[in-house]
Amino acid sequence: MFSNLILKNSKRNRKENGLFFGSLVISIVAFYIILSLSKQDVMIFLAKMESDAVNQLLLMIPVFYGMTLGILFFLIYFACKYQLERRRKEVGVYLMMGMRRSKLFIMLLAEDLLSSILALVIGLPIAVLLSELISLVTAKLVGMGIIGHQFTFSLSAVCFTVAGFLVIKLAAFLILSGKISRQEIGTLLASFSEKEKKQRPAFVYGTCTVSGMIMLAAAYAVAIQGIAWYAPDKMLLTLVLGLLGTILLFYGMRALIALLVKAGKTNRKLHVFSFRQIQENVMHQSTSMAISSLLILAALCCFGAGIGIAGTSRQAEEHVMDYTFQDYGAESSQDALSHLKTVLKENDLESQFSQLFEMRIGNVRNGENGNHVFQMDSVMESLEGFTQSEDRDVLLNNLGYVDYPYLICLSDYNRLLEAAGKPALVLEENEAAVYQDYDFTTESRMDILNRILSEHPETLLNGNSVYLTGKIQSVDLVTDRSITLSFALILPDEQFLQYTNGEYEVYINGILKREAGKSGSLMTAISDMNARLDELCLEDMGIEYESFLQNIGRQLFYMVAASYITIYLAIIFLVVANTIMGVQFLMNQQKTGRRYQTLVHLGATYKDICLSARKQINWFMGLPVFVATISSIFGVKALFAGLLSSGTNGAEWEMLLVSTAMILLLCVVEYIYVTIIKRSSDRYLLTLMQPQREE
Amino acid sequence: MEPILNIENLTKTYGNVPNQTRALDGITFQVMPGEFLGIMGSSGSGKSTLLNCIATVIKPTGGSIVMEGRNLQSLGGKELAQYRGKTVGYLFQNFELLDNLTGRENVLLPTSLHDVTEKESSLRLEQLAEYLEITDVLDKFPAQMSGGQRQRVAAARAMILHPKLILADEPTGALDSKNAKNIMEKLSGLNRDEEATILMVTHDSNAASFCKRILFIQDGVIFHELRRGDESQQDFYQRILKVMAQLGGGSCNVL
Repeated sequence: MFSNLILKNSKRNRKENGLFFGSLVISIVAFYIILSLSKQDVMIFLAKMESDAVNQLLLMIPVFYGMTLGILFFLIYFACKYQLERRRKEVGVYLMMGMRRSKLFIMLLAEDLLSSILALVIGLPIAVLLSELISLVTAKLVGMGIIGHQFTFSLSAVCFTVAGFLVIKLAAFLILSGKISRQEIGTLLASFSEKEKKQRPAFVYGTCTVSGMIMLAAAYAVAIQGIAWYAPDKMLLTLVLGLLGTILLFYGMRALIALLVKAGKTNRKLHVFSFRQIQENVMHQSTSMAISSLLILAALCCFGAGIGIAGTSRQAEEHVMDYTFQDYGAESSQDALSHLKTVLKENDLESQFSQLFEMRIGNVRNGENGNHVFQMDSVMESLEGFTQSEDRDVLLNNLGYVDYPYLICLSDYNRLLEAAGKPALVLEENEAAVYQDYDFTTESRMDILNRILSEHPETLLNGNSVYLTGKIQSVDLVTDRSITLSFALILPDEQFLQYTNGEYEVYINGILKREAGKSGSLMTAISDMNARLDELCLEDMGIEYESFLQNIGRQLFYMVAASYITIYLAIIFLVVANTIMGVQFLMNQQKTGRRYQTLVHLGATYKDICLSARKQINWFMGLPVFVATISSIFGVKALFAGLLSSGTNGAEWEMLLVSTAMILLLCVVEYIYVTIIKRSSDRYLLTLMQPQREE
Repeated sequence: MEPILNIENLTKTYGNVPNQTRALDGITFQVMPGEFLGIMGSSGSGKSTLLNCIATVIKPTGGSIVMEGRNLQSLGGKELAQYRGKTVGYLFQNFELLDNLTGRENVLLPTSLHDVTEKESSLRLEQLAEYLEITDVLDKFPAQMSGGQRQRVAAARAMILHPKLILADEPTGALDSKNAKNIMEKLSGLNRDEEATILMVTHDSNAASFCKRILFIQDGVIFHELRRGDESQQDFYQRILKVMAQLGGGSCNVL
């Protein structure tokens, strides 16, 4: 009998609070996915090459796990509180009938446990499937073969998911049941002990709204100017301003809604009622609305950052070389190539490469002016002649520091151009071409500089005049894309040897033979080659190498790690914020169910009250989302001003892309939630249409 | 004169075959325009069921309710809502004011449901507020009003659209005797001056003594009827008490 009661109550709870139950399932899925990150194909693959970075990321996982636990505790506590609050009377009746408090406690606990176990039973298989799916999709996206994919099931992830979930559930339950069991039966039986909230004069709320807006505006201003990123205390100030501003804004919002109530002179159907209901919700739940709004903002910013980071790493630079070797074992830098070739030949590996060529890079060695060997006053002058713009100022600043440029050997660079399928560069003996990596410039800045270069400006290199010519060059010199040059001069071989005095660094670039019909398996080819090279113990011979695979591995890692975690957080935040709002609205609707019944008595149709409730949902959900969206516009700007600036240089299309992605995500999630909430509201209102026998 | 409401052989049963409860067991009566009819009976006698059937909140099992020539069972969704809002005005025992709306907004709620412009209703609101002495509390929330004020605001809400019939369900049930007397005086005043037709369910003999006619219900059937002739309210009250005493004595004492 007792167990029957538990089963029935538990089932009823799930039915009445389906939204909350659904969110529990989602949170379980989220737990498992973050915890099983180390079992993802991409991560296993990356761990082979970038084990340090991967390990660092995996060390961070417990932090994210803890953070998620904290946020979910908030959600669970909240939803359970409403659930128990609604059952006060029932609890009172049980006690009246002589149920002992300990037994009551066990009953409530068992009900809760039953729901939790069900959520786990539903959630875990979904989580395992979903994480497999993510694993396959990311592997496919980054071009890894998925044939070797193995079904992974992370037992530790399951254990931690179950443990974490049960711990927060139990903690929330203990706190709440402690609260309810301390109350007297009389107060439990008395229906809702709604404390009448003290109303303050309207101008108090007005002031709150205005000061909230001012604080928010200040936070926005600090954020978009990038000041917030200067120091931790500035960031803290921005966050506190934003937080307080949002809370104050929502606290004062009731005054705005009161104005809307009065604005409805047209006496549209239930206008006054709908807005009074909204006002009441805003009044009772201003803080949690503010928190929901901030969570949505955090979600949008996380998501935006994730997309932004993924976007910057994807900048398509051409892939020319597969390998770069550095040979420290050769007697002199001139012998490096032949030494490497002998080593490779001895091991039957040379035939695998279609090309192996040197890339010589050096500095002016026999300088008389110390480190100030290069002057390009004429370039600076022409630059100053351009109309003032941000790009011009940046160039003026950057080029002002160029007085000791790297030198690149022309014939090597031409080999590179050939391999990349580009026309060779021709230089006279007193000419030089400018090399700049993409990372240090933008299209528009290159335009400006190219216009200046087309006039063949004269510059001084170690006292000799050298004419700059051609367009800016930017094909990657070596495989490792983290090694870049901000400004270098390409010189004819003779001049190169003369200026560097024969002292230079040699990088040997290699390109693997592409076997026909196996173009897709370059990754495998490189990874096989890596394995064979590692067998040779090249390091003992003083040879180091960097492969394209390691290089994209590094990039991939940053991309996958950053986007994975930010998007994960975004989803959690969104789910929590929406569930809080949804549960709150529905609970409040049930609390005020009698009002709808009165409306029916006064001649409202089912359609009328549904429309009114839908309007309330739109407003109640819409207000926090609206505030969050406004804030997120500034949030995106702040992200670009601080976090993403070095990579993107604030390209507008990218900002647009990120914002579009954010809005799309928000629209989809909100649409789903609002639809679910509206449906359950409609369903609840339908039950009110059937009159019960009341005493 | 045509009756405004004609109830014929009304039955209502709750529950399924073995444990059926007949809440109404064939009730027949009429209400004339301008009448102030009381329905009395003990708890569970079926009086609330009867009122709810007239208010179309519950569906009767058998019989017919004809309101101004229209059978209520034939009304569909929209007409039903129109009927509830415009044809009848409902006065609840617990007032059922929406506590997040001001007095004025509560009174005007039916007008917003039935697309009556505020201009039309504002004059009516003024009249009613003055008569019911609630002008001062119109801009207050229900929590800031006394019980009597609340019930008078509820009365104004029930009257705002000039209903043909006011259904009052124990209007004095949640009031102290002073406020109960006051609201009853106001109701009978409205009945006298505006010729409002009122059908009131009560088990308060005092409140019932304001009526012109009283039907007594027991176990789902009408078993007695009292009419107030030219006698004083006090005498009528005594007569009601006598019937009530017999009611309390069970069916063996029935007249």
